[in-house]
Amino acid sequence: MGQLLLAKGEVEQASSAFKIVLEADRDNVPALLGQACVEFNRGRYSDSLELYKRALQVHPSCPGAIRLGIGLCRYKLGQLGKARQAFQRALQLDPENVEALVALAVMDLQANEAAGIRKGMEKMQRAFEIYPYCAMALNYLANHFFFTGQHFLVEQLTETALAVTNHGPTKSHSYYNLARSYHSKGDYEKAGLYYMASVKEINKPHEFIFPYYGLGQVQLKLGDFRSALTNFEKVLEIYPDNCETLKALGHIYVQLGQIEKAQELLRKAAKIDPRDAQAFIDLGELLISSDTGAALDAFKTARTLLKKAGEEVPIEVLNNIGVIHFEKGEFESAHQSFKDALGDGIWLTLLDSKTKPYVIDASASMLQFKDMQLFHRFENDGNHVELPWNKVTVLFNLARLLEQIHDTVAASVLYRLILFKYQDYVDAYLRLAAIAKARNNLQLSIELVNEALKVNGKYPNALSMLGDLELKNDDWVKAKETFRAASDATDGKDSYATLSLLNIHLICLIGFGKGNWNYFAALRNEKRAPKLEATHLEKAKELYTRVIVQHTSNLYAANGAGVVLAEKGQFDVSKDLFTQVQEAASGSVFVQMPDVWINLAHVYFAQGNFALAMKMYQNCLRKFYYNTDAQILLYLARTHYEAEQWQDCKKSLLRAIHLAPSNYTLRFDAGVAMQKFSASTLQKTRRTADEVRSTVAELENAVRVFSHLSAASNLHLHGFDEKKINTHVEYCKHLLDAAKIHREAAEREEQQNRQRQEAARQAALAEEARRKAEEQKKYLEQWRSSTPASKRRERSENDDDEVGHSEKRRRKGGKRRKKDKSSRSHYETEYAEADMMDYREEPEDEDASMNYREPIGQMNDQDDDVEENANDRLAAAGLEDSDVDDEMAPSITAARRRRALSESDDDEPFERQLRDNTDELQDSDGELRENDHKSNGGAALDDD
Amino acid sequence: MKFAGLKSVENAHEESVWAVTWVPATETRPALLLTGSLDETVKLWRPDDMQLERTNTGHCLGVVSVAAHPSGIIAASASLDSFVRVFDVDTNASIATLEAPPSEVWQMQFDPKGTTLAVAGGGSASVKLWDTATWNLIATLSIPRPEGLKPTDKSSSKKFVLSVAWSPDGRRIACGSMDGTISVFDVTRAKFLHHLEGHFMPVRSLVYSPVDPRVLFSASDDTHVHMYDAEGKSLVTAMSGHASWVLSVDASPDGAAITTGSSDRTVKLWDLNMRAAVQSMTNHTDQVWGVSFRPLGGRVVSVSDDKSISLYEYS
Repeated sequence: MGQLLLAKGEVEQASSAFKIVLEADRDNVPALLGQACVEFNRGRYSDSLELYKRALQVHPSCPGAIRLGIGLCRYKLGQLGKARQAFQRALQLDPENVEALVALAVMDLQANEAAGIRKGMEKMQRAFEIYPYCAMALNYLANHFFFTGQHFLVEQLTETALAVTNHGPTKSHSYYNLARSYHSKGDYEKAGLYYMASVKEINKPHEFIFPYYGLGQVQLKLGDFRSALTNFEKVLEIYPDNCETLKALGHIYVQLGQIEKAQELLRKAAKIDPRDAQAFIDLGELLISSDTGAALDAFKTARTLLKKAGEEVPIEVLNNIGVIHFEKGEFESAHQSFKDALGDGIWLTLLDSKTKPYVIDASASMLQFKDMQLFHRFENDGNHVELPWNKVTVLFNLARLLEQIHDTVAASVLYRLILFKYQDYVDAYLRLAAIAKARNNLQLSIELVNEALKVNGKYPNALSMLGDLELKNDDWVKAKETFRAASDATDGKDSYATLSLLNIHLICLIGFGKGNWNYFAALRNEKRAPKLEATHLEKAKELYTRVIVQHTSNLYAANGAGVVLAEKGQFDVSKDLFTQVQEAASGSVFVQMPDVWINLAHVYFAQGNFALAMKMYQNCLRKFYYNTDAQILLYLARTHYEAEQWQDCKKSLLRAIHLAPSNYTLRFDAGVAMQKFSASTLQKTRRTADEVRSTVAELENAVRVFSHLSAASNLHLHGFDEKKINTHVEYCKHLLDAAKIHREAAEREEQQNRQRQEAARQAALAEEARRKAEEQKKYLEQWRSSTPASKRRERSENDDDEVGHSEKRRRKGGKRRKKDKSSRSHYETEYAEADMMDYREEPEDEDASMNYREPIGQMNDQDDDVEENANDRLAAAGLEDSDVDDEMAPSITAARRRRALSESDDDEPFERQLRDNTDELQDSDGELRENDHKSNGGAALDDD
Repeated sequence: MKFAGLKSVENAHEESVWAVTWVPATETRPALLLTGSLDETVKLWRPDDMQLERTNTGHCLGVVSVAAHPSGIIAASASLDSFVRVFDVDTNASIATLEAPPSEVWQMQFDPKGTTLAVAGGGSASVKLWDTATWNLIATLSIPRPEGLKPTDKSSSKKFVLSVAWSPDGRRIACGSMDGTISVFDVTRAKFLHHLEGHFMPVRSLVYSPVDPRVLFSASDDTHVHMYDAEGKSLVTAMSGHASWVLSVDASPDGAAITTGSSDRTVKLWDLNMRAAVQSMTNHTDQVWGVSFRPLGGRVVSVSDDKSISLYEYS
């Protein structure tokens, strides 16, 4: 009865039946055995063992089944030695006892020694031969064949096993074996199904956890992250320290975007097994975008571990180490790392081949960055030019690094090597183009970009760069179109903008903003009605805001927004904005934004904070330009001029001339500064003889500078109006004459002073005062008699000039008007100020300022010849302009405001030029990161 | 091959020092150093202890260039006001004042025999040659206008001549312009020969190899130093390494090395066999406008916007 119940699986009822029997007969062997079986199934192995033992005592010659039971109990209790004895005894009694055989085999297998496993398998096979339908034996055999890779056998065995057993855990094992087999064959669908089946047979995960892991793996493979996550988490519950599971979970969290959680898990994995290089690599790759320092540490640990283990360090790891060092500005380490990643190859020979020069013809040298002959000759010399695809990215990064440390020659060789082998590597073309651009070889640069566009006509980076180049060539219309195309190209990509595309996207947003900004600037030139301007400002602001909204950390957009705000007169807001951008930009090697500094300086300047503006200009000049930018020196000079620091103004201008010798405008400005200095000295009520003497010297210099310019204008070396310069010459000469009189007077005064000092002091002073008054009067009379004539003459000349001027301006049109306007309104202010001063030298002041202003407006003339004709049709607009300007002139406050506006306006084209450079850097940044992403993926895939 | 810093004079001038040259030794005294500065003065230094020998005034605006006659007796200095002042080195007596308006004055060099002074003429797109006996203008070597350009075309200003160099045999003059082209002239026939291309930014300094009249070195704002075969019109090699404009280049008397000064504040020593920079001196804190090897070898001097002069031992 009890046996029947037991066989039916009704354990409790069986147990009560056995208990009744046992109460009646303590030594009833079948009941004892039955109860033992019950206890065993309940998991009470020690009770079960006691029962078996009693049965054995009662009936020492009982069949092997009892000993088997004892063995199983002892096995479960962990008494492996005694268990083995029991099994062996059972086997002795009945050599055909399959269970005992299987049990022994399992124990052998679990001993985990080669000999044990072999012995175990032999036993297993024997058991199989004796009784081919023992599920456990089948499972173990299948397991064995799985490891030996005989999948067909695995399937057959497990299918048999499934057919012969109803026992849950055994079935679960069988399904698991089957699933594993399919899994390893890559049939994830089937594997998944069998894992599921296996999992279903399991009541509690901790009994048999492997199918969960397998299922998780398959689901991960199939992209079902959520389910995979649940399964792996179950595994983790049981084995909280399992590295593989931790890593798998980490990956899933990365995929699900929960970076912090992923980091936590991977860190744990790395901590648990500090010798698991892969864990560190995973961790590093995870951290690379968030915490480069920690990522670097992780990669380095991985590298050390792999090196210690004598394994080869993956190229990607070394590349990533290199990239991080690079980003942190540690170029030495980066260099070493890239070199390690590259190992031995043609590049080493190429970089060291400095002793073997290949002479290229100077006429062809223009194309030096396109020249591939080097490699052909190299091949002809019997060398193999080989470049494995997996090293291209590293080579590219190395070249970028060489570029960064100014070894452009070597960098260009490497880029060309890449292109020699892989003609479609667009980024190499772009870098070569960037190098050519940096060396001002625009023609070659454009050619290279076009090569890149041949490969991929919609490559946004290439388009942006082409736009920049066209801007540099003053080809505005083309540039506008190119930027349009660039922004179109990215808009198309918007829909599937992924992490790896983010950088490209960012760059193109800049291009977009910039393109439109330029577009806006170009538009405005056509009609400069203030209303329209305001509209465009609004539009620009809107655009920038949009860009900022799309990518909150876009510094360029923020900078642009700052410019717009400044233009609208909201200096405090724009100042804040610029300051923030400046702070944000100071963190990276790649982001260099000198324009922000300049913009900030402009704002200070516009607010009248000259000292700070000067400091800002100087810092910018030193920090970003190695003090080589004449334009910023000009800004600085202008600030000195406004602050009435004439000598500093002059020195700045002289430095600028030294840097940009062919810029005659600077000479003109220097002349004006000297003239202004002299005039202001002469205006002073008290001056020493020394001061007057230096004034005379300065005026002589000014005269010389102006006459030089006048002579040079005959040769058409610059675009100044000769008459205008002559006016200056005349004026300076005139001033000089006056100054000479002043000097004589002052000298006489000095002498008389000295004489009088010898006499009684009081009397002398009184006398001196009287004389001085007399002198002054005399001079004033003289002055009065001489001035009107010259004044009249100058006036008429001015009128002439004014005509020529506006006519010219009408022709000029174009963007330079902006500059013109800026300087115009700027000096209009001055005019107004002079007006207020009501000093008699006012006409000259006006003259000076106007002259000063005009050439600055003309500065772009030389470059813009081409445009001039095209803009003829804008003549009408030009007329309108002068009207506007005239309206502006009377009101000082208006002029002041205009000036402030135009300051920032003025810097705009300039700033664009700056932005070009930074853009390029940004470009390369993007490239680098992008590559870095590629290598993260393990395989460098195509950009598309 | 290396440089070793010997001595630096801080605040050698009141303002940026823009020019430097060695004045060769005469029978009565050793070689001297001549420097020119934005502070409008030219100073003479004893190079052994870097003591100031004399301060010459008389220039207006900054002094952009100085040159010494091979005899060591006379020297010339030029400033932004386009005057060249020729003076006796030991007495500072003015010998001549040269001007050729509207031509500006940039780099100057005496020919190896000392009969002619070549002056880079800026916007006049020419090199002016002055006879050192009579101080008359004897020739103007003009860069020919490219075909098809009208004389009124303003683009001519792009051939603004900044630098000039004599070949060691005195038969050739090379001049560098703002647009990066280098023009080579035959001096005896006063004839333009050809352009050397490769730079596209201003070439501020040129020097021939003292041992090979074909080899010409150029320093450009494009951060590169080029080595040309000036006769064969070929670019032998381009050397990169400076982070900013290369402002000055000079070749060592043995012809094995060159040195460069740059806006990146460094002075570099280049081994011509390796065609690479072997050393980078970082003692200056601002642009290095001038570098010069002592004609006898063994010493190098550099001057900078940081107002200092530095002397190095070259070995």
